[in-house]
Amino acid sequence: MPIGSPPSSVRTATVGRPEGRGDAQAPKARKLRGSRRPLADRLAPYVLVAPAVLIIAGLRLYPLALGVNFSFTGDGDRNGQAVGFDNYATLFDDPLFRQALQNVGLLVLLLPVAVAIPGALATFIYLRVPGHRLYRSVYFFPAVLSPVIVGAIFNLLLAYDGTANTVLGLVGLGPVDWLGDPDVAMVTVVGVHVWATFGMALVVFLAGFATLDASLIDAARIDGASLPQVIRHVIVPGLSRTIQFVFVTTMIGLLTSMFGLLYVMTGGGPEGSTYLPEYYIWVQAGQMNRPALASAASTVLFGIMLVVGLLQAAVLRRSGRED
Amino acid sequence: MSRARIARWLIVIPMAALALATVYPLVFTANVASKTRHEYVLDRFSAAESLRWDNFEAAWSSAGMARYFLNSVVVVAAAVALLLLVGSMAGFALSQLRFRGSRALFLGCLAALFIPFQVIMVPLARTMGQTGLIDTYPGLVLAYTAQFLPFTVFLMTSYYTGIPAEIIDAARIDGNSVYGVYRRIMLPLGRPALLSVGILNALFCWNDVLIALLVMPSAEHRTLMVGVTSLRGQYSADIPTFAAGVLIAALPVLLLYLFFQRQITAGVTVGSTKG
Repeated sequence: MPIGSPPSSVRTATVGRPEGRGDAQAPKARKLRGSRRPLADRLAPYVLVAPAVLIIAGLRLYPLALGVNFSFTGDGDRNGQAVGFDNYATLFDDPLFRQALQNVGLLVLLLPVAVAIPGALATFIYLRVPGHRLYRSVYFFPAVLSPVIVGAIFNLLLAYDGTANTVLGLVGLGPVDWLGDPDVAMVTVVGVHVWATFGMALVVFLAGFATLDASLIDAARIDGASLPQVIRHVIVPGLSRTIQFVFVTTMIGLLTSMFGLLYVMTGGGPEGSTYLPEYYIWVQAGQMNRPALASAASTVLFGIMLVVGLLQAAVLRRSGRED
Repeated sequence: MSRARIARWLIVIPMAALALATVYPLVFTANVASKTRHEYVLDRFSAAESLRWDNFEAAWSSAGMARYFLNSVVVVAAAVALLLLVGSMAGFALSQLRFRGSRALFLGCLAALFIPFQVIMVPLARTMGQTGLIDTYPGLVLAYTAQFLPFTVFLMTSYYTGIPAEIIDAARIDGNSVYGVYRRIMLPLGRPALLSVGILNALFCWNDVLIALLVMPSAEHRTLMVGVTSLRGQYSADIPTFAAGVLIAALPVLLLYLFFQRQITAGVTVGSTKG
């Protein structure tokens, strides 16, 4: 359970509240929930939610609609005019945006790795390898650092004469141009992102392990199951919901929280090889002054996120059922 | 050695190496920040001769970090206060009060949780420009509040759902208005959740760079993270001062982690095991 004592299953006031709290049982309490309450009481809930509703509707939901709408209008000379799908055509003709989409493909390919690493580490910590208490705190700590800080530090470590190449040199390898080689830079940045965030997924896995029935694992071990068998047949099925949660949140993280790293470490380069949709949006809106084109890219990014989320949910639900 | 013991070492050694790799970058940076420029150029890896504060002072005063630091503190404090107030009010109403449309409002809030900032940043910047909020403190405070409010409402609602209705009924019988119940019952009872969500929001806002770059871009309004991004260009020939500036920006977060690790990890795992 996450915080403090009250159970945190999510439900709203309309579900789960005992019904039939009639006049007979609780005449006075009825004042709060009954139909003849004074006007002030009936208005109170709306007053309490009003600020949140106004802020979320005005600064999140409305801009989403506005942005989709905006993506069908023109930039510059054609500002405000309806241009149909022109922006989307421009977008998919732009080699930079195509590179950004290609990099999204790379992220999808690397996603299982980014989930498996914290998953394996959490398993070992759960099985109490020596020092498991320490590992939990140490592994999580980079997750609280800003991508800007992480990027600034890794700029030093990944410099041509930095730590990474010095270590490689000791074993007779390298040097690698980590951030200057178009074939390497994107993988480098993703690697740094995984270094900085795997602790987040790790604590989520550990929270999932806390809900597992330990006696099941003990029983399997007594029956002579090996560790890989225990993982495959007891742990993975028991954690299917946690695994699904980690897959989705890790993918969202890869798609939407790499901006700081890209901004500090590569600026999209070399040769545009580290563009991601989020960085493309920022460049088009902020530097190229093409907000409508940027809005089209935003809409595509939103579509990608919807597809990824739904796909993973569907795939994991099916595999969960088979087990 | 038995096979089990070999397997054990095959797990323990990489895990220890990874722990080292997790700590090393910050240790390296602290070491660099304690060197003179000359020492750094000669050998960047050797241990600094002594702990030296010169570079920290240079980063703090001449690089302008003091001003950026103040900007960040003001904006983050205001945003977290607003988030806790608005989020706990909504959480109380959505979890404990019956009213028409409450379920729809909660679902709308959940949907907003899945809209990334990148998707709405262009129209948001335009709206803020039209209302004169761009490049102002209230503008950035509102932008942060809007960004992290869905998460805050979600968490406060799920926490308050666990508080028995009898407590609220009893407070009402004692003559409290709905607002009185909020102030005298829900706020004090919600303290653990408010602490956790407050610290997480402080981390999110402090660490953000994209929203700050977009909403408050001018040089004197820079937040600390935006300041760090400009530090690199300024001090490309003086890496020790640069490293000191980076550490100053990371310090508040490291302190928060040191004191509130439990609240932070509790907050990030909300929603992962139920549903």
